Amino acid sequence: MRSAGLEQIWRQCVPDVLAALLRRYGDFEAAEDAVQEALLVAARKWPTDGVPDNPKGWLIVVASRRLVDQWRSEQARAGREELVARISAEDLLAPAADVADGGERDDSLTLLLLCCHPALPRPSQVALTLRAVAGLSTGQIARAFLVPEATMAQRISRAKSRLRDIEARFTVPAAEHLPGRVAAVAHVLYLVFTEGHTATTGAGLYDVVLADEAIRLTRRLHERLPEGGEVSGLLALMLLTDARRAARSSPDGSLVPLADQDRTLWDHAGIREGIRLVERALATGPVGPFQLQAAIAAVHAEADRAEDTDWAQIETLYRMLRDLAPSPVVTLNHAVALAMVDGPAAGLDMLDPLLGDRQMRRSHRLHAVRAHLLEMDGRVEEAGVSYATAARLATSIPEQRYLNTKAAPQKGRHV
Amino acid sequence: MKYVILIHSNPEPWGHPTQIYTAEGRALSPEQHEEMDRQFDALMTEISASGELVTAEALADPASATLYGWSPEGHLATEGPYAEAKEHLAGFFLIDCASRERAEEIAAVFAQPGGVVELRPAMWPGGEDQ
Repeated sequence: MRSAGLEQIWRQCVPDVLAALLRRYGDFEAAEDAVQEALLVAARKWPTDGVPDNPKGWLIVVASRRLVDQWRSEQARAGREELVARISAEDLLAPAADVADGGERDDSLTLLLLCCHPALPRPSQVALTLRAVAGLSTGQIARAFLVPEATMAQRISRAKSRLRDIEARFTVPAAEHLPGRVAAVAHVLYLVFTEGHTATTGAGLYDVVLADEAIRLTRRLHERLPEGGEVSGLLALMLLTDARRAARSSPDGSLVPLADQDRTLWDHAGIREGIRLVERALATGPVGPFQLQAAIAAVHAEADRAEDTDWAQIETLYRMLRDLAPSPVVTLNHAVALAMVDGPAAGLDMLDPLLGDRQMRRSHRLHAVRAHLLEMDGRVEEAGVSYATAARLATSIPEQRYLNTKAAPQKGRHV
Repeated sequence: MKYVILIHSNPEPWGHPTQIYTAEGRALSPEQHEEMDRQFDALMTEISASGELVTAEALADPASATLYGWSPEGHLATEGPYAEAKEHLAGFFLIDCASRERAEEIAAVFAQPGGVVELRPAMWPGGEDQ
């Protein structure tokens, strides 16, 4: 078996292993470190010794031993009596593999809620979730976000100390706080997905695909909360967007816009699952922004050719999204849909107010969309100017290349 | 989103923190320097804790630079400093934050007497769908 397959097995176990340690010992920081160490042992042993019959139990035993060893040596060094008081003699006997994995209860929700604690800044929530719930190493997370490993290590360790300082508990929050806390988790998973979905680097052997991680964790959250409409909506949105992955870039790495994608390359099983999820969520309501975005992705996915797209339906969905969660980005996308239904002039009218918005004015997307609609309207010269503005403002290398080509096809490198 | 904050300054003699070596900085009172230091330290603590600070370096005297020109015949190295510039790159901070507004809020605190602070988005290799 390839080690990538083994890595999948042990990473699948991580939330339960960490939860078992947390329930027994309480100390998040120490428990999380011990789990990471147990994963390193697994990485060394499993490829030669084979996967244990009960991988989860095996990891719990190894991690517990690490934790207890660490505490013993700390006690010996510093005589920290408070720690001794917390650990009973029974705890100090590392449990046997066959009894370690007791209940079938899934603690990943509790763990996700803890990692996405409101006391943590968003980037720390993201980093901690990827390490403690997805079981990624600090190095893998750092590479995925293109930051130095030391930066990511510091981010994670500060997040863990913060949780200790505020004495965050490993428990499900009270019912009245739960929806808000689950929404924060969904937002974090969405960030992981968009980061992974947009980045095209990190294709090294030990690099992970963040989009896959986001889908895996969201799937798990959905299993735990099958009636959560927005969690279903988020999972559907991820599946429908990810289904286009193979068609999104051409072999030379440049981006292929939705309208030009080879739709036979789309993952149709993923599309079917996404559509099923969003249809069910919308039917049971209340409707939310993730469900609407998923519904829009579903309408795109249902068209075999770009020209078959049901733009009227997409326009209606964007109108609902605007009413529910208005933002300049929603208006931008709404304008495209409106242009497809009522013509480019209507879309351009909708964009005009955004040109006065201080933040949007500096967004390449506004100018790229305007350029596209001007082009549709036959205003070629103005379109060229807007494409050039968009290219100057773009911070993505492939997008800038694409926009420069649209602005002045004759300029640039000869290929 | 990643941004670099570039500190352009002309300290005389070259030294860090640059604002205590510039003519404009020397004209300020110790109290004013203390207040600036306090604000700056508070910002550093904040962006380290939030994970927004990625990395930072202070740069050596531009006289220690080597400049490389390119020509088809071969590369030509000359001793610095880069003559056309009055103010030199004195240091940089790489930050990673959620929005342009946030980056601007951070960069504004870097404003210093006798220097110019430049905020620039970093390019990245990915791209957005649609």
